[in-house]
Amino acid sequence: MQAGRVLAVWCQDWPAVAAAAAAGVPAARPVAVLAGGRVSACSATARAQGVRRGARRREAQVCCPDLYLAREDRDRDARLFDPVVAAVEATVPGVEVLRPGLLVLAARGAARFFGSEEAAAERIVDAVAAAGAEAQIGVADELSTAVFAARRGVLVPPGAGAQFLAPLPVGELAVEPSLAGPGRTELVDLLHRLGLRRVGDFAALRPAEVASRFGADAVLAHRCARALPERPPSARTPPPELAVAHRCDPPLDRVDAAAFAGRLLATELHAGLAAAALACTRLEVVAETEAGEQLSRIWRCARPLTPADTADRVRWQLDGWLTRADRRPAPVTVLRLVPVEVVRAGALQLGLWGGTGEDDERARRALVRVQGLLGGEAVRIGVLSGGRGPGERVTLVALGDEQVPETDPAQPWPGRLPEPAPSVLLADRPEVRLLDAAGSPVEVTERGLFSADPARLCWGTRGWRLTGWAGPWAVDDHWWGERDRPDTGPVARAQVGISAPGEDERVLLLICREGVWRAEGVYG
Amino acid sequence: MGTDALREAGSRQHDRQRQLAELRRRMAAVPGRGESASGRRPTARETRETLPVPSALAGLLPGGGLAEGTVVSYAGARSLLTGLLAAATAHGRHAAVAGLPGLGLLAAAEMGADLRKLAVIPEPGPDPVEIAAVLLDGIDLVVLGLRGGRVAPSRARVIAARARAKGAVLVVTDGYWPDTTLRVDARIAGYAGLGAGHGRLRSFCLDVAASHRAGQPRRGRIELRPTGGRVEWCAVPAGRTAAGRIPGELPLARGAVS
Repeated sequence: MQAGRVLAVWCQDWPAVAAAAAAGVPAARPVAVLAGGRVSACSATARAQGVRRGARRREAQVCCPDLYLAREDRDRDARLFDPVVAAVEATVPGVEVLRPGLLVLAARGAARFFGSEEAAAERIVDAVAAAGAEAQIGVADELSTAVFAARRGVLVPPGAGAQFLAPLPVGELAVEPSLAGPGRTELVDLLHRLGLRRVGDFAALRPAEVASRFGADAVLAHRCARALPERPPSARTPPPELAVAHRCDPPLDRVDAAAFAGRLLATELHAGLAAAALACTRLEVVAETEAGEQLSRIWRCARPLTPADTADRVRWQLDGWLTRADRRPAPVTVLRLVPVEVVRAGALQLGLWGGTGEDDERARRALVRVQGLLGGEAVRIGVLSGGRGPGERVTLVALGDEQVPETDPAQPWPGRLPEPAPSVLLADRPEVRLLDAAGSPVEVTERGLFSADPARLCWGTRGWRLTGWAGPWAVDDHWWGERDRPDTGPVARAQVGISAPGEDERVLLLICREGVWRAEGVYG
Repeated sequence: MGTDALREAGSRQHDRQRQLAELRRRMAAVPGRGESASGRRPTARETRETLPVPSALAGLLPGGGLAEGTVVSYAGARSLLTGLLAAATAHGRHAAVAGLPGLGLLAAAEMGADLRKLAVIPEPGPDPVEIAAVLLDGIDLVVLGLRGGRVAPSRARVIAARARAKGAVLVVTDGYWPDTTLRVDARIAGYAGLGAGHGRLRSFCLDVAASHRAGQPRRGRIELRPTGGRVEWCAVPAGRTAAGRIPGELPLARGAVS
């Protein structure tokens, strides 16, 4: 952003507001959003009753018994924020989104058009209220100062940024996740323990002192505390060939196809950026639709964007556009990513999976290329989930999708098979016949026992003698529900060892439902 | 005078050794067909890195692991293949499996695999070898199920050269791949814990034979034992099978792990 004042629009507790709106919870009920077992956002009513960010789930429920708990879902936050962004953009063009719940725009143009900054702030608040949310506005010379000002609803006069920041507690530097790098909370803890309790105390240090004692992120925090621009204005305009475009044929009208295209584009974009040793901090996502309209949005990130971040933002963008309630846009024909601001790539150290970064990058690129060859669903990653049988205990998620298990593995699942698990799972579960010594079929009685001792297993035309068997282990799933759903109803599992002359012995895992035995897996 | 002669002989020997070493070095620097000299690594196997494998298996493999940049052919029990994937991902390497639709990921997780670093491609389409070639670019351990197919020697050479250049390990199973560096066979030797109407499967033993391209096969027996929610591979001395079963014919154990 050129030298000019910045206006920040902050919707307080946006994840909690979005969760409440999505679930239809009445406005008076306190809401909290959990991420990893801890509260990451809560509504104002919840805060009034004592719920704080970082509290554990039980602590929050103790403070506030009728608290509505929702799981963190950034897609939902982004989707519900899109109408708010559209409303602000209709009032003042040139909006940049930092994260769902926080956006910034250039204050000069708006102030000139509406007469003064206060008038512009009022109009924006009205526009956001018309879209159904509440927002606070802050105006300052620099982006981070404007975000802090928005949290207090203050218009900071020009040149008074440092003065405004000085009396704030130093914890403010870590409170906004989109402005802070990882480890900012530890830095703030450390500063607090060192006795630097106010932002002004931290700003009074010399930059050389900060750089020599703390890390790179602390230097950025120091510039932020002094109300200096975080990066020197880059005279470099990104070369036009860094922009990538993808012609969608057939046109995209579904979010998952759009997400897949977005992932491919993000990989391509970052490959180009990496080749030029650059990293992107502001990205414009442009979509052209069949009806000829062009939709674009600028996303901004204080830290350089990783490919996963970019793919996420493209997915949120398209999710918001394609599921817009008021006016359904036509299917998207061209998707374009244009980097608007780039920095040198030395800053980007993070690995996607917490590793050294480069290995993960290479691995991910190879997998995304395979996805490009075979389709989005071809490459899958396993996630441990809840369940009893070996097939249910791992959910296969397509690469790039959120790794959310189907059922919660942390819940107790009585009746779960203990280790070892079968190393071969038969996906089609072929039907087998379990026979006793006389040749009649063996079933599981009402009491959960075998009707007779099994002696032979037949599969198609082949038969084996049993060398051992164990079970049946019966599980009655969903006994309180209707019986017509295909995966519910009582099942029984059994392990049988089969052998035939001239063949190796094998142990199978069988599953019986409604009197029919099927082979679920093979051990060994 | 005797010492002089001895010293002379010694120095001649020393010169010969030096000459031999020099000639070997020069031979190693000569590029093979189709590769550039800069991309070729020294031939000594000890200087190459190895992919971590379950410790019970390490004694049977030359170098204590799967040498990076090689093609390994695997036949037999699927559980040891899962064990290789688990050991590699548990040590932070990336792994991918293509063409093995029934792979038990829960078994891998029990063996200690990091499922986030293990990608599964159940249906690799009409040309699985091409997919494996793409994967070798970034993945450290690629397991390819050929589903009974054969691979032409010319194609196999190209893929092997790619694996060598990228330092990745390609394990092929379920089909014919000409001229692999290492061949691993695993057969079930016995199950334990399953009685006649009681108990449950607790552990089983595998007879493993690892034969290098140039050398005798090394055989040994390893057992998969449950340990408190997970399973681990343990080496079993030859002659003993999994507890609770009467042993049948015992294999001749050469170079067995003790």
